[in-house]
Amino acid sequence: MACRRIGCHGHTLSPASSINCVKALATGIRTHSICMVSDFFYPNMGGVESHIYQLSHCLIERGHKVIIVTHAYGNRKGIRYLANGLKVYYLPLKVMYNQSTATTLFHSLPLLRYIFVRERVTIVHSHSSFSSMAHDALFHAKTMGLQTVFTDHSLFGFADVSSVLTNKLLTVSLCDTNHIICVSYTSKENTVLRAALNPEIVSVIPNAVDPTDFTPDPSRRDDSTITVVVVSRLVYRKGIDLLSGIIPELCQKYPDLHFLVGGEGPKRIVLEEVRERYQLHDRVRLLGALEHQDVRNVLVQGHIFLNTSLTEAFCMAIVEAASCGLQVVSTRVGGIPEVLPENLIVLCEPSVKSLCDGLEKAVAQIRSGTLPTPETIHNKVKTFYTWRNVAERTAKVYDRVADEVVLPMDKRLDRLISHCGSVTGCIFALFAVLSFLFLVFLRWMTPDSIIDVAVDATGPSGAWTQQYFPSKKGSEKEEIPDC
Amino acid sequence: MVCAQVEASPRKHWQKVLYERQPFPDNYVDHRFLEELRKNIYARKYQYWAVVFESGVVIQQLCSVCVFVVIWWYMDDGLLTPQWLFGAGLASSLIGYILFDVIDLGVGRKESGRTWWADLKSTLVFIAFTYGFSPVLKTLTESISTDTIYAMSVLMLLGHLIFFDYGANAAIVSSTLSLNMAIFASVCLASRLPRSLHTFAMVTFAIQIFALWPMLQKKLKAQTPRCYVGVTLLFALSALAGLLTISGVAALLFALLLISISCLCPYCLIRLQLLKDNIHGPWDEAEIKDDLSRFLM
Repeated sequence: MACRRIGCHGHTLSPASSINCVKALATGIRTHSICMVSDFFYPNMGGVESHIYQLSHCLIERGHKVIIVTHAYGNRKGIRYLANGLKVYYLPLKVMYNQSTATTLFHSLPLLRYIFVRERVTIVHSHSSFSSMAHDALFHAKTMGLQTVFTDHSLFGFADVSSVLTNKLLTVSLCDTNHIICVSYTSKENTVLRAALNPEIVSVIPNAVDPTDFTPDPSRRDDSTITVVVVSRLVYRKGIDLLSGIIPELCQKYPDLHFLVGGEGPKRIVLEEVRERYQLHDRVRLLGALEHQDVRNVLVQGHIFLNTSLTEAFCMAIVEAASCGLQVVSTRVGGIPEVLPENLIVLCEPSVKSLCDGLEKAVAQIRSGTLPTPETIHNKVKTFYTWRNVAERTAKVYDRVADEVVLPMDKRLDRLISHCGSVTGCIFALFAVLSFLFLVFLRWMTPDSIIDVAVDATGPSGAWTQQYFPSKKGSEKEEIPDC
Repeated sequence: MVCAQVEASPRKHWQKVLYERQPFPDNYVDHRFLEELRKNIYARKYQYWAVVFESGVVIQQLCSVCVFVVIWWYMDDGLLTPQWLFGAGLASSLIGYILFDVIDLGVGRKESGRTWWADLKSTLVFIAFTYGFSPVLKTLTESISTDTIYAMSVLMLLGHLIFFDYGANAAIVSSTLSLNMAIFASVCLASRLPRSLHTFAMVTFAIQIFALWPMLQKKLKAQTPRCYVGVTLLFALSALAGLLTISGVAALLFALLLISISCLCPYCLIRLQLLKDNIHGPWDEAEIKDDLSRFLM
């Protein structure tokens, strides 16, 4: 995911927990005060954003206190409350590239320290290796002696110079992080290799999809034809070039085959050219960028979902499609083979021929009627991935991390120097010392004791989850405009 | 790899799937962990002499620059008259032109569909224009100090060497930029010569050595590798000899440079290749191998 997904295929912002908001939980569960940090959060839309949002809600539901820290998006700065008292800090930091903030390792320390202290954070959970704010927060949290968890959402190669550099930085960032979470086993292998980690401190917790948002509706589709749906950003990494080869090949072979393409991007022009060249205007529909709530309505119009990605850590899109009862045809790349069982997905090699074969197989299945009904598929898929399960497993990681010791300064320096190579290690050890001195200076300027303690919105003594505010849907709608 | 404690019954095998709840902890490390890891699958095995042969392109280009500078030096010192240079250049171009067709028995010409008449026309147009503009070129840089001109020429010639298309498939390669830099350097240097006829001869020579000569070399290399090695050696020796008449130290340094590039660098490449540790696995971005342009033909 070298380029961030923007817009067209966002994910839900309605909390999965909205059905039964604050469930009475069995007492005795350990609660933590968790700070999620990432550059990517609402109003930006994408896999990471929805992961943070949904996970936070389910953690709140479990009785933990959760706050989110991200950078300011335009006018959206300061502190905001989302549904169920989820508190979000939009920090006034400069955005440098692709919604990622600039990093100096130092400039964000005063702000982040203030937040960590006033919110009495015990665990800092950073998301996405593309977010420099996430790495900064990890660095500061370790300086302050807080427990750290990092979730990696993307895959990276090893071949080119840029990945060599980013992998080195990841090594530095993760070498003294308590625990790492990856979204698939392939992603875990990738992260372990990239950051030279002990695989035992890396857990695999997949993403999830809210099954109530993606329900099948066979009445919406036209059964006299066969419709192939593609919903993705139209960019090179999503294999749109492959799609431009598949469309003419199959349209010539099957006169009743239709394509429905949702999403926007630089490769749209390629699809338009193909459509023009083969006169397929009535059979290939390009819908452009989709709002999140429209994704389901597009999906249910099709029989087959086609995913042509060239690399993918988890691929939520195929789970969403399967949840809508579509037969999924996908390339066998990254973590995709782990996501759905063989009877729900046709896996192909990333070539036009193989994907055409896969689609033909799916078409034959539909014609012979051997496919399970959309309802059956939905009922099966909805048991696979739920945010509650993700939160439960993440909470286990927190419990484990809370019992660990944060490396004291001398051990941390040792680890940096021994683990990250002599040159990089020494440089970052120096940075660690400087950041510690800076922290001492900040503590002298404003001692922890005079920093106001924030009122908890969530957590064991959460004001929001008790009587002060109505915790039901009424207030949510105002808090999350046009999502 | 150390395995985490297996809490599950040993009968149940771990599967690399996410959709099933497995009786293993989330941080469980199976013995199959990283089993799809591959190393150095695209690493190439190099043969020493093959690499030495390939380094000929670099040698040739270095020598071209060297010969060009030496010729300029002679002209500047008045050891070489422009008439002589132009005559010799014309003769060698003619020989090269005939060779260019003879080497591949006219196959390349048939493919490109270019006639001799067209070549002759463009040659005449070029010579006429260069001759006509040579007084302008001569006075073009008069207001710029000579030191600046020299410094700029050195930079441009270096740039020419850096961006030249040696056959590598890299983003930095740009034969247009490379040729333009060389011509720019030649105009700069030529403007410091005594008369406009000198300038004309120098710029024409620059075109011959930087634009035409590499084309002939490329063909020579592809068609008759043996001849190519001979030509490269001869060219290198003549460049060295020319440099020797100007400065012994420079000639020695240049000889060392050529030897290190053709002999030492290939050796280093092959030694370092052994240390290559390239990791591949299912996380790599897939490459599209189909030719997709046919769908838009």
